[in-house]
Amino acid sequence: MAERRTLMDGVWRVLLLLWAISIIFPVIWILYQSFRTNAAFFQDIWALPTELRWGNYSKAWNDYNIGKSFANTLYYVGVSLVLGTFLTTLNAYALTRMNFRGRKLIWGLIMLSLFLPGINALVPQYILMKSLHLTNSLTGLVILDSFGENVFFLMLLGGFMSSLPRDLEESAFMDGASIFQMFWRIIVPLSTPGIVTVAIFKFLGLYNNFLGPFIYLGDPAKYTIGVNMYQANMKMQYTSDWVTMFAGVMIVMVPSIIFYVIFQRRIMEGATMGAMKG
Amino acid sequence: MNAGINGNEAVVRKRQGSDKARRQRAVFLFLAVAPSLLGYFLFTLYPNVMSVYYSLLDWDGLTGATYVGFDNYVNMVKDQFVWRALYHNLLYMIVVPALIVFISLLLAYLLNNKSYRENSIYKVIYFFTNVLSTVVIALLWSFIFDGSFGLLNGMLELFGLNMNDFYWLGDSRTAFWALVLPMVWGGVGLYVVIFINAISAIPKSLYEAAVLEGARPMTILFRITIPLIRGVIRVCVVFVILGSIKGFEVIMILTNGGPEGSTDVIGLYMFNLAFGKEYHNYGYASAIGMFLFVILVGAKLIIDKCFPEENVEF
Repeated sequence: MAERRTLMDGVWRVLLLLWAISIIFPVIWILYQSFRTNAAFFQDIWALPTELRWGNYSKAWNDYNIGKSFANTLYYVGVSLVLGTFLTTLNAYALTRMNFRGRKLIWGLIMLSLFLPGINALVPQYILMKSLHLTNSLTGLVILDSFGENVFFLMLLGGFMSSLPRDLEESAFMDGASIFQMFWRIIVPLSTPGIVTVAIFKFLGLYNNFLGPFIYLGDPAKYTIGVNMYQANMKMQYTSDWVTMFAGVMIVMVPSIIFYVIFQRRIMEGATMGAMKG
Repeated sequence: MNAGINGNEAVVRKRQGSDKARRQRAVFLFLAVAPSLLGYFLFTLYPNVMSVYYSLLDWDGLTGATYVGFDNYVNMVKDQFVWRALYHNLLYMIVVPALIVFISLLLAYLLNNKSYRENSIYKVIYFFTNVLSTVVIALLWSFIFDGSFGLLNGMLELFGLNMNDFYWLGDSRTAFWALVLPMVWGGVGLYVVIFINAISAIPKSLYEAAVLEGARPMTILFRITIPLIRGVIRVCVVFVILGSIKGFEVIMILTNGGPEGSTDVIGLYMFNLAFGKEYHNYGYASAIGMFLFVILVGAKLIIDKCFPEENVEF
């Protein structure tokens, strides 16, 4: 059915386009400015680069110690992601597909977290981490972010698992499998789509986590990429080295962009699910 | 006889097997439940309980803590910075959710109900801001708002408006409102996607009937689309409001409450008291944290009461 195009359609299309431009253009602008010299940039903030100065990128990489902070981020995000996803999968299975005494009580306690905004717990949490000697340590952050309950992930994965057929376990036990084998060989493979969605959101949360690393990491050699760029920007107020900063921001954005391109559809689906459950 | 013995053996073996299975099950259950639950107790529940106690202390984190009863709360009520920050929160709490929900509803409606060729790519672009970290979003906007070399002033100059190196975030008259932009810009994408999904779940037959009756597009939007996704809109509004009360990262990175406290919000004020550069006051920060806790739970209850959940059936 062909719609009739009216004047209003023109207005709407311009509106949609403007919002898209507001997102794309700043990124493109930073991208092309990151190839210019500071002198040229200060002269005219619109002009396109006359040559591709990759030197800005290597300067950003070295000046801001991005290599080191990427390695830190990789360790923090990687270990938390694997450990956290593994624990969440086990936990979701036990809490949704196994019957045991105290299960209702545990669910109740977990649901309590929906009422805890978390912000009032920042100080006691910091004191606790300090007394456990887990501050100023990437491993400490991993521990803080891997162990715990998350309603969103439990509901997402638990919902997925409870849609699997009821007699899966029964028939596995009949064949003589232990509960560990059954979990690892049957439940995990069948729940992979749910596990992947959980892992995607854990990854986004961890890679983009700023407050945690900012509070707990004092030593610049341990900065994650987000904290590193924040500190670099603080220093830039004195150095005015804009193009290097632009290059640095582009480097930090690359993993997000790649990740988004690969998982775009799943991210959008999962985000909707999360909002409706929360 | 033989058969009987064999049968007994089988029963014994089976019982041994099930004993083993039961033990394995208990071990599995423990390994599956305990680590997460312990972490939850240690890193979430315990700090939340302790925050009540800490709020009754006078403690800078270095020297010993002294118990001061409700002094922190009394000071808080007298602290004009708390009230200024709360006023800022209140403004953000009204403006940001209103803008986010209005803009994302409009965009979602257009993307869903108009079949422009470019629509599918827009959805992907709009959501992009939601995978960016707060730091990147804040840095992008610091480049936009910069006085001398910022995009915004550059753009205004193209239209013949010379701002004379006006620093949007450096002036207490503009900084507060300038910060609304990154907050809205960073939030809209998610809600566009949520609203699109909600709108596309409305049966087409309802629209067709309305069109046959001669309803105009605006009538359809306000009489059919919005009422039918009311539940989803409500959830989103709650989400954004609660988020805007406790969120302060963008503000912290862009202005850290300045200039002259014109962008300070309650979460940031508390954060700087606890983790700021100058001095630390854990007790007072905890008292403000408790206050925030009460506000957030209160806001949630009020919203639940004023806008009861309704299930819409098609």
